[in-house]
Amino acid sequence: MTHRQRTSCFVSRLAVSLLLLVLTAPSAYGQKIFRMEKDSIPFFRGISLSFDLVGPVMLMASDHGEYEGALRVNLHDQWFPVFELGIGRANHEEDEVTGLTYKTTAPYFRLGMDWNVMKNKHLPNRIFAGFRYAFTAFKADYINENLIDPVYQYKVLYDIKGVSCSQQWLELVFGIDAQIYGPIHLGWNIRYLRRLFYKDGDIGKAWYVPGFGINDKNNFVGNFNIIIDI
Amino acid sequence: MMACASLDCPVNNVVATRYGLQKPDGTPDTMGVDTLWAWTTRPDGTEVSLVNRLCGTKATYFSISPSYTLPEDMVCLLVQNDAGTFWKDTIWVTKEDYPHFEGVDCKASYFHTITGVKSTHRLIDTVIINKKTVDYDTSTAHFLLRLKARR
Repeated sequence: MTHRQRTSCFVSRLAVSLLLLVLTAPSAYGQKIFRMEKDSIPFFRGISLSFDLVGPVMLMASDHGEYEGALRVNLHDQWFPVFELGIGRANHEEDEVTGLTYKTTAPYFRLGMDWNVMKNKHLPNRIFAGFRYAFTAFKADYINENLIDPVYQYKVLYDIKGVSCSQQWLELVFGIDAQIYGPIHLGWNIRYLRRLFYKDGDIGKAWYVPGFGINDKNNFVGNFNIIIDI
Repeated sequence: MMACASLDCPVNNVVATRYGLQKPDGTPDTMGVDTLWAWTTRPDGTEVSLVNRLCGTKATYFSISPSYTLPEDMVCLLVQNDAGTFWKDTIWVTKEDYPHFEGVDCKASYFHTITGVKSTHRLIDTVIINKKTVDYDTSTAHFLLRLKARR
């Protein structure tokens, strides 16, 4: 077992253990998460829109990235159902070693929930823990315009376009929101992504999965968001 | 969204067909004191060596990379014994080709499904397709070459 596999195994076990702990804890902490605090604050506290800044920077600086926005409902400053929608893009052109080009552009979405884990829920700054279910379906192009058969020494047409792929995955999220001015917040979060189900194309692995990043069994990602309360 | 991940290319990333050597009764054969050469002709008419001087008691098989997309590969064989007598044969392999992709960091390749094989039967008594799928796994012989008795 490699170091990476051991890390992945450890993180998976930790994530499942924490989830089970929260769901099964009969203690006060378990009840705290699902129990609404008794106060005069209304149940529905509004919605907020957020936009990720890291994805566009990644798109500008590298060969893949995402544009992503989220709609989050504030329920009593405790629970935050979230819908995230994005479009992921990869355009890796003519790899300098292998000459391969990989292209895809496709939307993805995530559904999930954040919990405000601060002791005082009604402060403008929040610490979140949550989860997401995510899905994407996309078509990828695999091209190598200069592939030469190493034995027979003739040029091969390696031009496969529109290979259908899909993937579903789970995310564990931990993040912080800080109020900057009025309805404007800034926040970052880190996520552990775990692939659940996937369909690679007929010719092999999808290299990049929109919303998931470079394809693997699992992934760590980070977001930096501008959040506007509406 | 930024991410940190890696994608490793397979260590064994050579697509090849393995030819196992057998006696006419199906028992393993070796080159022994005989020597085997294999070569093919490229589409441009030039010849290229595929196996050079396979010999010895441990020489029970050889491996050859199939063409990426040619519908039929031709392999010429020459076996010479220590007395200088030689036998020639030619094998034609038909196959279907499938592009394969591991990652942008990994060399593009083709996998194949063998659909047919024939030979001139001068050196080879029988050629048997033992495994049709050609990919990175070369641990099993794709073809069993039952060679005629050479002495």
